[in-house]
Amino acid sequence: MAAISEQDRLDRVQTWRALRRSYDLARPQRRILHAALTLILMSTLITLAGPLLLRSAIDHGIKDGDGRVLNWLIVVYLGITAFGYIVGRVQYLAVNRAGEGFLRTLRLTVFERLQKQSMAFFDREKAGVLVSRMTNDIESMGELIQFGLLQFVSASLLLVLAVIVLLVMSWQLALVALVVLPLLVVASVRFQKQSNRAYLDVREKVGENLSVLQEGITGVRVIQAYGQQNARSRRFLSTNRSLFDSHMHSVKVSTWYFGLVEFAGIAATGAIIGVGGWLVHRDDVSIGTVTAFILLLANLFDPVQQLSQLYNTVQSSTAALHKLFIIIDAKPDVGEVEHPVPLPARGAIDVVDVTFSYETADRAALRGVSITVADGERLALVGPTGAGKSTLAKLMARLYDPSTVNGSSGSVSFGGVDLRQSSMSDLRRRIVVVPQEGFCFGGTIRENIRIARPTATDAEVEQALNSIGALGRFLDFPEGLDTEVRERGSRLSAGERQLVALARAALVDPAVLVLDEATSNLDPGTEAVVEHALEQLMRGRTVIVVAHRLSTVRRADRIAVVVHGELAELGSHDQLVARGGRYSALASAWEASQPH
Amino acid sequence: MEQRRGLIVGVVVGLLWAVGKVSVPQITKLGIDRGINGDGSLPFWTGLVVAAAVIAGIFTAFRRWVAFRESRWIETRLREQIFDHLLRLHVGYHDRTQTGQLMSRASSDLQQLQAFVVMIPITLSNLAMIIAVVVLLLASHPYLAMFALAPLPLVNVLASRFSRRIQPVVMAVQQEQAQLATVVEESVSGVRVIKGFGAEGVQFAKVNIEADDIQRVSMEAARIRSRFLPALDVLPALGLVAVLGIGGHRVIDGAMTVGDLVKFNAYITMLIWPLRNLAMTVALGQRASVALTRVNEVLSTPSAIVDPLVPVPLPAATIERPVGEVRFRNVVFAYEGSDPVIDGFDLTIPAGRAVALVGATGSGKSTLVRLLTRFHDVRSGAIEIDGVDVRSMSLADLRSAVGIVFEDTFLFHDPVRVNIAFARPGVSEDVVQGAARLAGAHEFITHLPEGYDTILGERGYSLSGGQRQRIAIARAIVAEPRVLVLDDATSAVDPSKEHEIREAMSTVMRDRTTIVIAHRSGTIALADTVVLLDDGRAVAVGSHEELLATNDRYRQVLAAWAVRDEDGDDDAPTPNPEATTAVVGSPVAFSRAVDGGVV
Repeated sequence: MAAISEQDRLDRVQTWRALRRSYDLARPQRRILHAALTLILMSTLITLAGPLLLRSAIDHGIKDGDGRVLNWLIVVYLGITAFGYIVGRVQYLAVNRAGEGFLRTLRLTVFERLQKQSMAFFDREKAGVLVSRMTNDIESMGELIQFGLLQFVSASLLLVLAVIVLLVMSWQLALVALVVLPLLVVASVRFQKQSNRAYLDVREKVGENLSVLQEGITGVRVIQAYGQQNARSRRFLSTNRSLFDSHMHSVKVSTWYFGLVEFAGIAATGAIIGVGGWLVHRDDVSIGTVTAFILLLANLFDPVQQLSQLYNTVQSSTAALHKLFIIIDAKPDVGEVEHPVPLPARGAIDVVDVTFSYETADRAALRGVSITVADGERLALVGPTGAGKSTLAKLMARLYDPSTVNGSSGSVSFGGVDLRQSSMSDLRRRIVVVPQEGFCFGGTIRENIRIARPTATDAEVEQALNSIGALGRFLDFPEGLDTEVRERGSRLSAGERQLVALARAALVDPAVLVLDEATSNLDPGTEAVVEHALEQLMRGRTVIVVAHRLSTVRRADRIAVVVHGELAELGSHDQLVARGGRYSALASAWEASQPH
Repeated sequence: MEQRRGLIVGVVVGLLWAVGKVSVPQITKLGIDRGINGDGSLPFWTGLVVAAAVIAGIFTAFRRWVAFRESRWIETRLREQIFDHLLRLHVGYHDRTQTGQLMSRASSDLQQLQAFVVMIPITLSNLAMIIAVVVLLLASHPYLAMFALAPLPLVNVLASRFSRRIQPVVMAVQQEQAQLATVVEESVSGVRVIKGFGAEGVQFAKVNIEADDIQRVSMEAARIRSRFLPALDVLPALGLVAVLGIGGHRVIDGAMTVGDLVKFNAYITMLIWPLRNLAMTVALGQRASVALTRVNEVLSTPSAIVDPLVPVPLPAATIERPVGEVRFRNVVFAYEGSDPVIDGFDLTIPAGRAVALVGATGSGKSTLVRLLTRFHDVRSGAIEIDGVDVRSMSLADLRSAVGIVFEDTFLFHDPVRVNIAFARPGVSEDVVQGAARLAGAHEFITHLPEGYDTILGERGYSLSGGQRQRIAIARAIVAEPRVLVLDDATSAVDPSKEHEIREAMSTVMRDRTTIVIAHRSGTIALADTVVLLDDGRAVAVGSHEELLATNDRYRQVLAAWAVRDEDGDDDAPTPNPEATTAVVGSPVAFSRAVDGGVV
């Protein structure tokens, strides 16, 4: 059962737009979708044919005592039933093929758009929400497609066609049936509203109850240590009973409705017999018509119930669609230019008067920063947390553009080419970012390294590992480079994950490395290996490192001190110490805590 | 007993429902044959149908109500029993059982049980209806009935085969969806790596594979549905064809009436859903019995730690003899299937004195505490409080005599006030605030958004490690224990903040028997005596200074802890002299100097 809360409900315009857009998106499935709709129409007609055949059989075969007519009708009935079976099978496959095809398109489209988004987008959106778009929201669509779509269309068709058939057969009897119908519609709408509310309430109570339950189990040691078993049991009793009450309320809501539906169905049969019988007397209708009416009543009432039950499913699915289209429609902040300028193999990085603010922040993260990093130079960025050193590094790698948001300006270029004029793929071959923690994906060690350059051969992957002196370590794994690292690389140690991250960079062989130094400690043995690998990797490249250790800083050619979003000091270690500014204070504070 | 009565009510209501339902086609037949064909009885039959409608309507509602009430009630009661039982099961059980496992016993397993129980009265009344209809049809026109009913058992067979076939495929679809979720999840959390290398294509290819897999398995499910569901529709239709074929000719021959024809039609239609449900109920029953076995496993596990038959009371405190003496006598203990953790531990703590237990990880410090409060029972030897063996007193007495502040503070989703008054619910506000003051927590509590009414716990207001510890200490104070245990109470606290807790601790420890598990000198110094634990034995006893001066192992253990402290997270960016020297050379130290010291 689906339920939808008030804040997720779409208005009519939004609903129609979401459906319209889906139809556009389902272009590849359109042919099969149309076929499916035709099949649904056919099977609806077949459903209605049964009672009508019985009517003809009674009025023309049985009453006239004509066995041949009866036999003919039986053959037709049998034929239609068999045909109905075939239509039913094909219809299932067609509906699902169209639906699953659409879901696949939707999954891929949403994911592709998601990946086109800039870092700023990922900073802004919660990871959990994005994942649930791709999973929960699309799965709830799947529910609609597997059961809902078919039912929705066939119930609507059945309702309309049944009303027409009844009216054509006898308008007087149709009136009798149609007197009951509005009552049922009103009751169904009311029930739907009540049960939606009741369901949301139950869901909330279930959540509450589960957390008290969990608290009891995880806190059992404290509870026992203080002898509070009884008090906690009483506490659980009260949430548990309130869940029970909530369940019973939702049952109560459905109880009167199902009773009413049952009553209405049978009472309408009674009314048809009463009024029909009278009309038969007056020779206004045939007895076959009355029979057909009695059997067709079900086809009138069932769709009303189904439609009202589907109402919430459709609503929550369109709400999900709406959210998905918001992602599909989001324009990437960092976009590709139409005619990219190729980047030179090597060159200096020029940051010119960059001012940058994150969308979520009200204060600029960087203000008027200009700096040039020569080809092959090592620059260390230091400064307090949140001063803007990481932001500066990210801008140099174009994880953000200085022009994305209002209030940002300036430019970053490599070898004289503005990064915004280059293509992303070109850029990623020249400038590589190695993040703090070695993030690993599910898959083998080899796959994890190859993610940096999917076309790399096995030999190139091994060569990359070798170049940072880490090949032996990974070959020692039971299955060598084909060892599965498990989820999030849990099979590897923190140090090994960092080595994988460095090997990725080595595989790309970029001109510029942007490093965010890890703040956490590794065990001393691994530390040395990672340190060595890093040194190998940096050789002969331009390096920009966000530094947390003085040892790293001292190995840099120049040091940039970033404070409050501004470049406070720039120079070599000795120059800055001699200047006696912030850096020199920092360095001496560090020296003081050094053991001698 | 009350459940049995409920089920009986359900069955009776169900039978009345069946009577209402079954009577309708029969009355319809009579109405058509007699009323319409003109003997003036039409209004009578019409009235009778409406009466049947009322009965069927009322009992449909009633049947549903009773079925759900009984099943939900059983579910509710069982959940309470499980919860109750879990709270009383010994800690050893909880140590080896995952929380998630226990949670699913009390949630999803019970739901499966409920889903079956609700079907019991419904299925029974459906069965009654099926039997009544079959008997009625066979009695009135046996020959026609045989043909008309013949396809119906197949409905049941097909329906149960369907649910058997579709089940694994539905699971496979969920599996594939979970795999897609994993790829999406890592693509979102690893977005820096992906962007950094422009590896969008690699992840897209993975998602492409997963999306294809989902589509493939979903189509497999669709194929199974397409094989079974239309067949389930067509079988009863064949029965209807038989009714028209055979019945129609018999009507022409005058052996049957038009009303009979309509009656047969209506009955056959009426049987379709109950027959399908029958198959579903069988599948539900199988799942429910597995769930019930799992639930029973929990409920039938006895607690290994129980009250003695005749509990010995603890001696009351007198002026001559203060209470709170703790004595460990040659205690030996091993966790199931492992070597002894405590191996001949002897120690006497005089009433009112404080002892610090120091030892490397795994030396058995926390185990001693767990034995003292009878989370586990000793293998051999004994632990006594004021001369009474802990196994001879009632658990309630023992646990109000021992107050523990655990290493990982657990706070409940309750107001601060309730968390502090945990051991004595309903204690006065003065006691709560007094305890908070003693524990050095009053100050920050009053600064919380809602003061003492602020809700804590996992979903509540989040406090720092030090604040949590101080609330836990206040909680122990309210309990007024004879023996207070501080199990590494400062480990979650930044070294620079430890002194705040230390003050609270020393206030609380005054004149109270206290066991402190600690590894930082400042905290250890609070105790009168230090006991060095190694290999489950007390290897050295003395003051902190003595041990530091004379015992190599003691220095070694403390040094090892000091190194570990460096790796710990710090929640305080402000450096202080003590902290900075403790973390010499670590990258954090440099950042910290940058962050706080200079700027």
